[in-house]
Amino acid sequence: MTTSREAFLQRVRQAAAEGNRAGATPSLEPRGTVGYQGAGPDPVARFAEQLAAAGGFPYVVPDGATAIRTVMDLVQRRPAAQILLGEGAALDALDLRRHLLEAGLQVTLVSSLNVSSSRDPFFAADIGISGVAYLVAETGSIVVVSRPDEPRSLSLLPPVHIAIAERRQLLPDLFDLFETLGAGEPLPSCLSLITGPSKTGDIELRLVTGVHGPGELHVILVTS
Amino acid sequence: MPANDYARHEHHAFLDASTQALSDAPLQAALTRLTGTLMAANRRGYAALGDSDQLRDHAKCIKEHTLAHLDHYLEQLEASVHKLGGHVHWASTAAEARQIVVDIARQANCTRAVKSKSMTTEEIHLNPALQAAGVEVTETDFGEFIIQVAGERPSHLVAPAVHHTRESVARVLSGYLGEPLPDDARSLALTGRRVLRAKFRAADLGISGANFAVAETGTVVLVTNEGNGRLTTTCPRVHVALVGIEKVIPRLADLPVFLKLLARAATGQTLSVYTTLITGPRRPGELDGPEEFHLVLLDNGRSRILATPFRESLQCIRCGACLNACPVYRRIGGHAYGGVYSGPIGSILTPLYDSVSENPHLPHASSLCGACQAACPVRINIPHMLIGLRELQHHDRPNRWEGLAYRLWAALLRRPWLYRSALRMAGLLLRPLTDNGWLRWLPGPGGGWTETRDFPAPAARPFRERWKRL
Repeated sequence: MTTSREAFLQRVRQAAAEGNRAGATPSLEPRGTVGYQGAGPDPVARFAEQLAAAGGFPYVVPDGATAIRTVMDLVQRRPAAQILLGEGAALDALDLRRHLLEAGLQVTLVSSLNVSSSRDPFFAADIGISGVAYLVAETGSIVVVSRPDEPRSLSLLPPVHIAIAERRQLLPDLFDLFETLGAGEPLPSCLSLITGPSKTGDIELRLVTGVHGPGELHVILVTS
Repeated sequence: MPANDYARHEHHAFLDASTQALSDAPLQAALTRLTGTLMAANRRGYAALGDSDQLRDHAKCIKEHTLAHLDHYLEQLEASVHKLGGHVHWASTAAEARQIVVDIARQANCTRAVKSKSMTTEEIHLNPALQAAGVEVTETDFGEFIIQVAGERPSHLVAPAVHHTRESVARVLSGYLGEPLPDDARSLALTGRRVLRAKFRAADLGISGANFAVAETGTVVLVTNEGNGRLTTTCPRVHVALVGIEKVIPRLADLPVFLKLLARAATGQTLSVYTTLITGPRRPGELDGPEEFHLVLLDNGRSRILATPFRESLQCIRCGACLNACPVYRRIGGHAYGGVYSGPIGSILTPLYDSVSENPHLPHASSLCGACQAACPVRINIPHMLIGLRELQHHDRPNRWEGLAYRLWAALLRRPWLYRSALRMAGLLLRPLTDNGWLRWLPGPGGGWTETRDFPAPAARPFRERWKRL
């Protein structure tokens, strides 16, 4: 294995050096402001507009109480639904668990599962409710990261995904996101930018949502 | 060769395959719809960016820099992946890469693989090797799944099943499931979801490519619209990413430069639905994600290209924009090109990876109009490289008649009196063939031109004579 690795790298090294003789070995120039779009005067409006353009449903709400009402409205449209609930600052602040249970809904807490018991509830869930790590206004994206209490499946396997976000999580531009990520702790094992519902156009370019990931993406953004 | 074989097998019969494609009415309709829509979206996408030209220059600069120091960044990538507890494998050839993936499957006792869309796995013909080793392989991109069931090859970088209609998809999937399916796109796609969910649930091996690999962090980046890339890296207990060495980028901060361009160039989207950054295997306490992460770095001819003036072709980020822009691809589709990669970039990659002498027509499958370069998010000078390949062909197999003709032409141009009389002679000789100012038929080698187009006849009064009186 080592010898093939050495031979591989030696070959690449020689080829790079040989090709470099023809020129074209620029250094990594600083990007400056090139490509920076920003979010304009109203980042919240920009986020909502971009998410809607991508086929998602934004709900900009002034406070926690309205956020809870919005979630309850969404889930009560499907009273028989199996709900998978994550954890984290935004979700805990709303005490969603209590509200969902009091309404008599079937809720599975991610924190109550372990590796071997989680597969069935993950695949059976109809609605996944998660927090987000960031929002990007430029693209209308939510950013979710894998954590023990917010697994990858939570925002992926259920046909409906409801994400709760706070104003302070909103970043203007994609460049801001990667600057923030680069400055912080090591990257999580999995980080996804999600921009609207799952889409395919593989048959005659006809848009179909929900082919693999959630067909519905609801993002509740609490501005208080 | 039977009509469908070009869709199933790689080949070197460019002229026959493209002739056949031209008379395939459903294919022509599909190509017009796809390329027209995506090309307009590409222009809209760039326009919405404001300074897309500068951003594309910056992206190109990052690629040029990385390729110039590729050995360094590959070692850095390896070290980053090791630090995360992942494994790195070095595959010099397609055969080595196949063996590495088969060995990973064997050692981890994997028998059911799901794949997210990857042209690199197509390039090494991974599926037959896994199947021969007793591993069931399922393509999970919906378009790739359709063509896998149909036994065909992808015909477009980002829309692999573009050559199918909803009726033909219904036929293919009805046959696979043994039940008649309605032929509307929505119910077919949702049937696909149901079938593929079961595959994801049972799978123990997830195989992906990567759009980018970040050296600084050891991250592989997958961009999809359907979410199958996320499922492939969430459900199975082993993840193998097969990545061409040209996919490495230095820093995390370089990634958004390419993300801003990739989706805009491919489909006009601001961003694809899912951009997933995988950084090592599942961490302690996490409930899902793979326990093992393997990065297989593939050379397969890339280092050879790195040393040549064709290095620029390694900057390609596989968005498909040059296919949509190309007046040749738009007429003949992907299968006619014969190789894994099609369109303008395929006309460069297939001869370089495969063989220049066995793909004599591909460097000529272009009008050199430059639409490919204009659409390219990293501004690859495709026309320039096509001409370079033509030059290689000429050195490989010099054409004595062509050489003689050019020497004769040069001799004429050096002697104005001879040139004028030769032109006058040609005008006289061609007069019987002239029809309304055009030559509709020419004898000998000129027939190659007039077979598909007319040639303007020499003017009755040469410009030089008119000039004297102007």
